[in-house]
Amino acid sequence: MSSPVKGLISDSAESKISQGDDIFRTVFQKIQTGILIVDPAEHKIIDANPIAIALLGHTKEELLGNTCHEFVCPAKCGECPITDLHKDVHNMERVLINARGERIPILKTVAKAKINGKEYLIESFVDIIDRKKSEDRKVALIAFMNESVMRVHKPLELTRQNLQVLADRAKSGDYDAEDIRMQLQMHANNIARMVKTLEELSEQAIKERGIEIPDHLRDFFVGT
Amino acid sequence: MLAEPDRVHDMTLAVLKKTISSGCTPLIITVNQPYKVMVKTYAREGIGQEKFYVVDAVTQYSGGTPAPGPRVRYVTNPSNLTDLGIAITEFLKQMPDTKKCIIFDSVSMLLIHIPTATASRFLHFVVNKLKLSDISGIFLCVEKGLDPLILAQMSAFVDRVVDFEEGGKLLRE
Repeated sequence: MSSPVKGLISDSAESKISQGDDIFRTVFQKIQTGILIVDPAEHKIIDANPIAIALLGHTKEELLGNTCHEFVCPAKCGECPITDLHKDVHNMERVLINARGERIPILKTVAKAKINGKEYLIESFVDIIDRKKSEDRKVALIAFMNESVMRVHKPLELTRQNLQVLADRAKSGDYDAEDIRMQLQMHANNIARMVKTLEELSEQAIKERGIEIPDHLRDFFVGT
Repeated sequence: MLAEPDRVHDMTLAVLKKTISSGCTPLIITVNQPYKVMVKTYAREGIGQEKFYVVDAVTQYSGGTPAPGPRVRYVTNPSNLTDLGIAITEFLKQMPDTKKCIIFDSVSMLLIHIPTATASRFLHFVVNKLKLSDISGIFLCVEKGLDPLILAQMSAFVDRVVDFEEGGKLLRE
């Protein structure tokens, strides 16, 4: 679908923004950062580079002429952080929603620039999904270690101590066989519970990060 | 209240003695030793069973037969938080209207049975019950046996976090 704005841009002197200068055009096409050029008056996208198009998952025709709110900015009409709220957007973590409805974390900067006497917003953004995944992995690993320490390591230390106390009690003669049996059974049940907890934590970690763990290791971890 | 693993028994005993000597009747919630064993252990230390009440979550869990008594209630196992909560609430109502408190022995052993987040919510529920009834509560735990985040959360709803040293001396508050 041909956008009227695209037609206007293509037919006017403003097409020089992205077409007139070979160096600019090459940088615009090759840079590994998504760039959208937005008309601040109506917040309409007037140009998008290939990385922006790839990240958004729409065709260039679908983007041009539409408002930036629909793609890279969750702000409502009249609440644009730059033109309405006069805020800076510089290397801020934001979320982009692509054509498949997926939320892609991005680092976004918006700069104002005058081109041929007219002001535009240059929205640039980089995909930080790998960094986010890495952070998520760290959080998941810490959560796994944390639960392992709290629910297995520390209780095992206590159980070892309790068994030592039990050995002393058995010698004292103050406790009958049933007392000793009950305590041994309690510790046996607790240890079984801790083993089960470790299995559950491993299964949970594998469920969340399954594709990153080779099959043979996955079987080893869950003990199947 | 926090102690190293090899100090937990000393801590429990010291807390119990101090509580009783201050004229308070403790309700001990145990996920650590069966009532029958507990009575014998404390009797050796000169603490008679008429001095405390118990909610016992481990006798049935360890295959023992729960012996009914006016000062004990049994819960099938430590992960049965609903019954544990009911038993605590009912016992606190039933206990004579003297000065009373609860001693939870111990948070670290409870974590064997339930995730840390669930434990945090349950303890928050218990603390709220205690606050509404103006009853003190002492939660025993192994040093570094609580997730710093959960300890921070608990610190927000308990009055003090106290380190224990042998002899009942308080190290840090």
